[in-house]
Amino acid sequence: MIVLERVSKAYSTDSLGLDDVSLHIPSGEFVSIVGQSGAGKTTLAKLLMAEEQPSAGRITIGGWDITRIKMREIPELRRQIGVIFQDYKLLPKKTVYENVSFALEVAGVKSKVIHDVVPQVLSIVGLDNKGERFPRQLSGGEQQRVVIARALVHRPKVLLADEPTGNLDTLNTQDIMDLLVKINAFGTTVVLVTHNREVVNALRRRVITLKDGKVVSDHQHGKYTLTV
Amino acid sequence: MTMAWRIFAASWKHFARNLWIGVATVFVFTIALLSINILLGVNAVIEQVVVLLEQKVDVTVTFNPDTPEALLSQARFYVVSLPQTAEAKLVSPEEALTAFKERNKNNPKIIDALNELAANPLGAQLVIKAKHTEDYPFLLEAIRNPQYEPFIRSSSFDDHREAISRIQETGAQIRLFASALVAIFAFFGLLAAFNAIRVAIYTQREEIAIMRLVGASSSYIKLPFVLEGVWMALLSALLTAAGVWVVISILEPRLTTLFDGRDSGLSAFFFQNGTELIILQLGGLLVLSALVSWMAVGRYIRR
Repeated sequence: MIVLERVSKAYSTDSLGLDDVSLHIPSGEFVSIVGQSGAGKTTLAKLLMAEEQPSAGRITIGGWDITRIKMREIPELRRQIGVIFQDYKLLPKKTVYENVSFALEVAGVKSKVIHDVVPQVLSIVGLDNKGERFPRQLSGGEQQRVVIARALVHRPKVLLADEPTGNLDTLNTQDIMDLLVKINAFGTTVVLVTHNREVVNALRRRVITLKDGKVVSDHQHGKYTLTV
Repeated sequence: MTMAWRIFAASWKHFARNLWIGVATVFVFTIALLSINILLGVNAVIEQVVVLLEQKVDVTVTFNPDTPEALLSQARFYVVSLPQTAEAKLVSPEEALTAFKERNKNNPKIIDALNELAANPLGAQLVIKAKHTEDYPFLLEAIRNPQYEPFIRSSSFDDHREAISRIQETGAQIRLFASALVAIFAFFGLLAAFNAIRVAIYTQREEIAIMRLVGASSSYIKLPFVLEGVWMALLSALLTAAGVWVVISILEPRLTTLFDGRDSGLSAFFFQNGTELIILQLGGLLVLSALVSWMAVGRYIRR
């Protein structure tokens, strides 16, 4: 369960990334955060993964108050939240297998477990025969699948996807969205940050619309609307 | 144990997959160390030159021809007993005459003049070598005491005074200059090594940020880079040692010829001070590379 209580993020005195936002996202939900550029979507994603700290308010994830999380606690949080980025953020000098296994290695998971889990996860995302390839040898859709595999490898309770289809064509976008829906079906909470109207409308799930850092609409079976 | 092994393995993978950056860094490290060692070697040879020049200096005290043999022996015994004396050799009048004739064998006028004389005009000589060039004035003063003064015809100290003081001054200046150069080269060498590490890590800044985003702790990110720096320092030290050995092997025989078959001091310096040189240079580079790697990686670890 993700709870934001009156959260604000100020970058300067006249620039607010988020302005007094309160949200409640129950476990197992698939929620889309939409809005135009500068609406505060990415700020919200950064706050959820503790890349930034809120200027005011309180954020809890699964009962863990991460509002003033310490630097040394951040790795533990990142291992509990799977994150998918628009620009993939894969390690270019590591193979597909190593990129996925790295997320487990940093948590001190035993090699035997890694050898069992990584092929399974690669199989789920349809990359079971591409483990030895480097990211530059993959298409955009395949690279995003590696990112999803890396995010899934910890069996996270929450999957945060920040514009996961931003760099993909229609076909790959559909594949990735199907994958996210499948992951959600297994009980993982999915927070999708996007400005892709077609994707949001096709999902017919909860949609939270941000504008100028504020929540302007929150519908359980919503659509992408910019005029409220 | 698992984490330690992963960090160890990651450090080698980093090195292998960023081979050109690694090779360039090792190259800079090696050049820095070689510069320092070349300068140390040059300093050692210069010091040996100064020592050899100082050894060539002596003072000759010439006695009157009628000086009693017992007094000559006593004078020699007295000089040898002084702590400043390295060696004192008594040359008999006959030996002095033979040496004089040998030195002037190409000058018939002097040889003819000598033959005109019925007796040997030369007296005995006491050739004194001091332990240190600055001791010569004291030794000359000591031998000119009232007991021996009346029998001394001349001493060559005045002839050598200028040469002695020039060698002393030059030697001191050379040592000072060479030490300053070694210090400057060491400083710039370490600065070059410092920047080589920073550049190598700068090229991997995005990778470092990604590692953090997927849940790696700061130390798990930093340690492979630190170890990579350590391997590069070790490799550079090994290459430098090989380079120094090759240079010594090539130069030593040539220098020995230049030094009239005497030791040039080059290999002696490196063999006698080998342990200290390795500890200081390798230790310095290891500490520097580890510290700089730790700090440089830290710059790119955000929240």
